[in-house]
Amino acid sequence: MVTSLKVRPVQRGFGSTAGPLGRRVWRSTRGLYRVMRANPLTFIGFVLVAICLMLALIVIVDPALIVPYGASQNTGAYKEPPTILRWPPSIQHPFGTDQGGLDIYSEVMLALPLDLGIGIGIAAFALVAGGMLGLIAGFWDQPRTLGGALSVIIMRTTDVFLAFPSLVLALAIVASIGRGVWAAILAIMITWWPYYVRLVRGETLAVKHLPYVTAARAAGVRDTRILTRHVLRNVLEPVVVYFTLDIGTVLVTFSTISFVGAGIPFPGKVPEWGSMMSFYQQNYVLSTYWWYITFPAIAIFMSALAFSLLGDGLRDVLDPRTRRALAESSSFHEPPPEVPQPAAAPDAAESEEEAIEEEAREVGAAA
Amino acid sequence: MTQPVLSIENLSIDYEVGAGVFHAVSDVSLVVPPGRVVGIVGETGCGKSTLAQAIPRLLPEPPARYRSGKIIFQGTDLIPVPRGKLPQVRGTGIGMIFQEPLNSLNPAFRVFDQIAEAIQMRHWREEGILPVFHPGPTPFDYTHRPLPEPVDVLSRPIVPGNAKAAVAKKVRTRSDFRKEVLEYLRLVRINDPETILDLYPHELSGGMRQRIMIAMALSGKPALLIADEPTSALDVTIQAQVLTLMKELIDEVQASILYISHDLGVVAETADDLGVMYAGQLVEFGPVADIFEAPRHPYTKSLLRSIPTRYKTDWPMPTIPGAVPNLSRLPRGCRFHPRCALAKPICTQDPGPRLRVIEARAGASSSHQASCHFAEEVASLP
Repeated sequence: MVTSLKVRPVQRGFGSTAGPLGRRVWRSTRGLYRVMRANPLTFIGFVLVAICLMLALIVIVDPALIVPYGASQNTGAYKEPPTILRWPPSIQHPFGTDQGGLDIYSEVMLALPLDLGIGIGIAAFALVAGGMLGLIAGFWDQPRTLGGALSVIIMRTTDVFLAFPSLVLALAIVASIGRGVWAAILAIMITWWPYYVRLVRGETLAVKHLPYVTAARAAGVRDTRILTRHVLRNVLEPVVVYFTLDIGTVLVTFSTISFVGAGIPFPGKVPEWGSMMSFYQQNYVLSTYWWYITFPAIAIFMSALAFSLLGDGLRDVLDPRTRRALAESSSFHEPPPEVPQPAAAPDAAESEEEAIEEEAREVGAAA
Repeated sequence: MTQPVLSIENLSIDYEVGAGVFHAVSDVSLVVPPGRVVGIVGETGCGKSTLAQAIPRLLPEPPARYRSGKIIFQGTDLIPVPRGKLPQVRGTGIGMIFQEPLNSLNPAFRVFDQIAEAIQMRHWREEGILPVFHPGPTPFDYTHRPLPEPVDVLSRPIVPGNAKAAVAKKVRTRSDFRKEVLEYLRLVRINDPETILDLYPHELSGGMRQRIMIAMALSGKPALLIADEPTSALDVTIQAQVLTLMKELIDEVQASILYISHDLGVVAETADDLGVMYAGQLVEFGPVADIFEAPRHPYTKSLLRSIPTRYKTDWPMPTIPGAVPNLSRLPRGCRFHPRCALAKPICTQDPGPRLRVIEARAGASSSHQASCHFAEEVASLP
């Protein structure tokens, strides 16, 4: 006889308000892991991004840990210059060495923090600046008001920037300011934010007339709070996904500017993947010294790919619907529950097969 | 006589869109006395929801335009109030329940956060962190002004600012809110509120979501609650549950309620007074029992006649001939005359007597009137 019914407490994935902090954190981490695991490509992207960031951090903290032949004149990671020049990839020099006595592996590693930092930094700047402008332009767009006028100004300015291809505009800006890291960064910053304004404004326009925003308004919430809480949270999802995908694009654009020769000079104070490729491509024959250009290119490719893969799956994490569903699932490939097969089923299948065979035989006989 | 919570005087609202001007609400007068439930019934597109959203001024104002009239809430006309001050009236003054429970909760937040926000807004208003709605300049009272204690004067913070309120704001924790939110969830009869707190809206059924909407609206402790078809998006069994809940809450909460519905049965069960709307006008107003017993407007009469009483008999079902007029090209005279069986030549010219709801309120407790030339005759018809 059942004397008491014990109800199992509901275990919730993300940020449940129940339970002590430690357990909540553990639950969230486990939930995040499950969401990631549900989409293998995202998982790969997540791991790659984590590796990239970790390596970059190591290079910043103490390059000597992973950069054996720190090079380019100055980085403090210098141990000893490679003794063998123009040597293809070997155990001692995994990416080979070049004409001027640089270990390409070390160069690629030393460029990692700069390139990732620029990719994330510029995209983040564009996200914040463009996002804020887009929210304002989308939320207060009533014509014949102050907000409406501001909205028009923002959007027309955006149109001016969007009229030019971003790479061409960036190059033009670099050409007019002068080459150098800061010039290149500034140029991309200036060209990058309008895309976010467009995206965020569109999302804001779509969200702000939804019933739940009206409901929040009816509950006495002020406009600024509605914007920063209700609208922002629902706009965030596509924007953050776009941001993550965009990091790779910024990185490639920056490398392109360097490749064209407008960015960072190589060999110089700090190596950069784009300028490395540019330098080697101009001065050496690719068919002979293939490793000069291949490894920086792979580095660009891998880091851009990593962020793209991560961004693709980030949608699942940010949407409470898919997130909860995935975080609750106990395993990725969960076998379907055992359904007791009706006893007649296999026989029926066999008899069907037999029938087909018989038919075939008959057809054969008739022929 | 007590001051009514809400009185609407000759309110007219137009929608100005590319296709022309739509007179969504024309010349509506209405009074909601404290503690009473006033129902509004009408067909789709007769201006019920426009009226409901116009009261806390939730209508987007370029398409919508207040042509004339007053919305007097607790003694203040809301129409000239600047847009920035309106949030002070909403929530704690006028609460609202919407007709789409499926979309009216923010999908990104938990139930807890949504109700807690409404509660927090109320707390901030009560503590003076957020400004409270002051109807006009408050007269300064010179008579009863106690002299300040020397200790108070000395201990007053040098930097101006509401220090006490700021401290109170910091002191309130999530678990305090939890208690209060649970209270409201229990008030709307939600089973296992502890679990429901941590759920997202998409994990709840329609009835649950509507209950949470109701809890949100009540947690502001509004003086006036506007229920804009709270049961129409739900299926019939859930409708019955929510309706029972609403009826129980009406007794418990003691707020004045404006209940808007297209369902005569629902209104008959909940409301004390009933207004019938047709093509943007209030055509009849009076106590529910009177209207159901002896309707005075031909439209109300035909509406009541076309309620299906039982299934499979009375075929064909009685309907009102014709269609609702286009709100941008309204007929002259009485708006119902093209469909009215009793229409006389005078109906095509003269819209009939205006409802004198406000004057009637001031005198008697309730009076039954209709804007029809032949109101007495309609009432006496079988």
